[in-house]
Amino acid sequence: MTASSLESQLVVGAILFALGMIGFLTRRNLILIVLSTELMLHGVSLNLTAFGRYHGNPQGQVFTIFVLTIAACEAGLALSLILTLYQRRKSLDVFLWSNLGEDDLPILSGQSTVPQTKLADPNADLPHLTPAGRAPKTPSTKT
Amino acid sequence: MFDWFKPNDVLWLIPAAPLLACLWIVVVGHVVRRQYAHRPVVLALAVSFVASIYLAVNVVPPEEPAHSEEHGEHAAHAEVWKAQKTTIYQWIHVDSQPAIDIPVILRADAMSALMLLMVTSVSLLVAIFASGYMKGDPGYPRFFASIALFVFSMCMLVLAGNFLLMFVFWEAVGLCSYLLIGFWFKKPSAAAAAKKAFVVNRIGDFGFILGVFLVWTTFGTLDFETLFGNPAAIREVASQGTEIFTCISLLLFVGAVGKSAQFPLHIWLPDAMEGPTPVSALIHAATMVTAGVYLVARCTPFFVHSPKAQMIVAGIGATTALIAALTALTQYDLKRVLAYSTVSQLGYMFMALGAAGAGKELATLAVTFAMFHMFTHAFFKAVLFLSAGSVMHSMGDVIDMRRFSGLRKALPITHYTFLCGALALAGVPLLSGFWSKDEILAILHTASNTPEHGGFYRIILGVALLASLLTAFYTFRAYFMTFWGEEKFPEEAGHHPHDAPPAMAIPLFVLGAAALAIGGLAGPTHLYGNYLAHTPGLPEAHHLEPNLLMMGVSSVLALAGIGVAYLFYVQSPAISRNLKSSLALGHRVSQEGLGLDWFGTRLVTNGLRPFATICEFFDRWVIDVIVDCFGFIPGLFGAVLRPIHNGYVQSYAVVMLIGLVVCLISVLRTLAVAGPM
Repeated sequence: MTASSLESQLVVGAILFALGMIGFLTRRNLILIVLSTELMLHGVSLNLTAFGRYHGNPQGQVFTIFVLTIAACEAGLALSLILTLYQRRKSLDVFLWSNLGEDDLPILSGQSTVPQTKLADPNADLPHLTPAGRAPKTPSTKT
Repeated sequence: MFDWFKPNDVLWLIPAAPLLACLWIVVVGHVVRRQYAHRPVVLALAVSFVASIYLAVNVVPPEEPAHSEEHGEHAAHAEVWKAQKTTIYQWIHVDSQPAIDIPVILRADAMSALMLLMVTSVSLLVAIFASGYMKGDPGYPRFFASIALFVFSMCMLVLAGNFLLMFVFWEAVGLCSYLLIGFWFKKPSAAAAAKKAFVVNRIGDFGFILGVFLVWTTFGTLDFETLFGNPAAIREVASQGTEIFTCISLLLFVGAVGKSAQFPLHIWLPDAMEGPTPVSALIHAATMVTAGVYLVARCTPFFVHSPKAQMIVAGIGATTALIAALTALTQYDLKRVLAYSTVSQLGYMFMALGAAGAGKELATLAVTFAMFHMFTHAFFKAVLFLSAGSVMHSMGDVIDMRRFSGLRKALPITHYTFLCGALALAGVPLLSGFWSKDEILAILHTASNTPEHGGFYRIILGVALLASLLTAFYTFRAYFMTFWGEEKFPEEAGHHPHDAPPAMAIPLFVLGAAALAIGGLAGPTHLYGNYLAHTPGLPEAHHLEPNLLMMGVSSVLALAGIGVAYLFYVQSPAISRNLKSSLALGHRVSQEGLGLDWFGTRLVTNGLRPFATICEFFDRWVIDVIVDCFGFIPGLFGAVLRPIHNGYVQSYAVVMLIGLVVCLISVLRTLAVAGPM
């Protein structure tokens, strides 16, 4: 493997990492933030495989497999946390979780410059799929 | 058999036993078996008492040291100079010039041993009495814990080996007194009395600590052994002028005036009767108030160099004795009569202590007689107070003598024990008070015959004789008003007043017997005087011949006082009523304590109020503001750092990113300098 192909792989890794970082810093949606971290993680994994290949040994790839495993666990954990947070506020906006003090104490800093989050109406109709196919048979329906 | 048990061990055992009892009650007895809280205290006090007897036997060499002429004074002193000492630990040590060394040191000599005997025996009996008297009180364990703490502090005060340690426990007994006067703290009058006692005592303590400072600057040590065991050093200082001794003596005496309730600081003691009666008997009659007498007696080596200070001591004593006796004449509260009589008898002790101003050769006798009167007074005043307590117990806590009378039949035990104490206090011949009071009168008589200050001591002697007449009168006035006349009970007593139960009767009997006999056993036989002469630091003295003139005069006065009281209050009560209405103003003045209490509480308190307001203003607007400033500084730091912590995940991430970039740049720079690997 040549140095130029290593370089182009490293460039792709760096681009992935930068994209993830930008996404992490700019997004307010919890799920997108998690996705951005995954992106950064895989930018780094790409570096590992590239160097492993360049040096001709399997260590980089072994590392990557571990990273993937842990990333999978971490994603499951993160999504479950996000689900909990969503159920408490009915919103995925991370700024809703910026209050550091106790609820009954005056707020001394932050918030003022940030646009208010629009909360989803918890009573609004959820989107639903158009029914398709045949209705299932139940004992109550007469055929 | 008890070879392993050294007299030195007893020294710490005496105060340690009550302290342990106190801690036991505070930790355990407060919660479980509350109604048996008296048991550890009585046990501990019994241990202390036995230990005190052991100490008293051992502190003085068993055989009389040989006073042969060829040995001379020096040899006799070397023999006498044996105080038992034990150092608990080094409390204060400062390497300065001169080095400050204040150990917690227990030291016992003949004087301490006698004090300890008195303190532990009376407190043991009072504790037994209190187990009956305080039965059913919600604060039962607290009472006994305080009593145990008091006995601990008092023993430590007596055993203290230096002035600073003595001062610490001087304050500790004051604290216990405060706690016990205010024992029923829900009663406003009791709380006020406790506060008054505490504040008035502060004035005296201020003088005491100044005296201690002056001792330090003069001698460079506070240790009793070094101070009083070295007559040469005292003589050397005295040769440069005795003013310094006058200052030291008077400052220490101010402390004694506060603690021993002498004019003009005596106003706290009558109010202190708000406490439970066993407390009045123990603290405010027998033990704590005699601490001032003990202090002055202990500092005799200072006082002998200043006749001026001793004359002031005698003068204050005489003033107090007279004022208190005049006030006691018209009190209706049985306990207040006894309280004023205590003040008056303490005045007697100070008169005796001051008698040495007429000549140094009287110093040891003066101390002996003052301490002896203190010793006998402890017993007969304790029995009087406890009998008064027994009256109170059966009368449903009524103590106003106008509301009951003729209790002779209903309370026979109390009647006889009160009579024992009253006879002894009045100075009826051959009883305790007679011997000790007669000795005081005798030494005052001797002092009044000296050419130098004879005139002054003649006045003192006159006051003492007058006070002795008044003592006999007011004591028996109280006795006749309470126990004679028609039988009358207040409604609080219920239908059938009951006499003292055994727990109260036995201490009464013991103390009553002591009140009758102890003076005759220890006084005229010179038992007490010879024992006390072993105290280190007291100059050699010869016995004073019994003064038959004074004995005769004082007996006549005592019997006259009793007779007049009988005439006024039993034979024909009309006389006292007529006298009261014709001398209404005098009666009023006497009842109000000659206006001294009014002067103390109203004039001084209100006069000082503006100053107190200024102090409060200063505290609130200067001290508090400074303290608040220190609290404000951390808040300021917080305000600076607060904008960084805004709670947004992204802003934290940016900070992390910046940190990462900085690290990266620095690593890359290092690599660039080191070159490729």
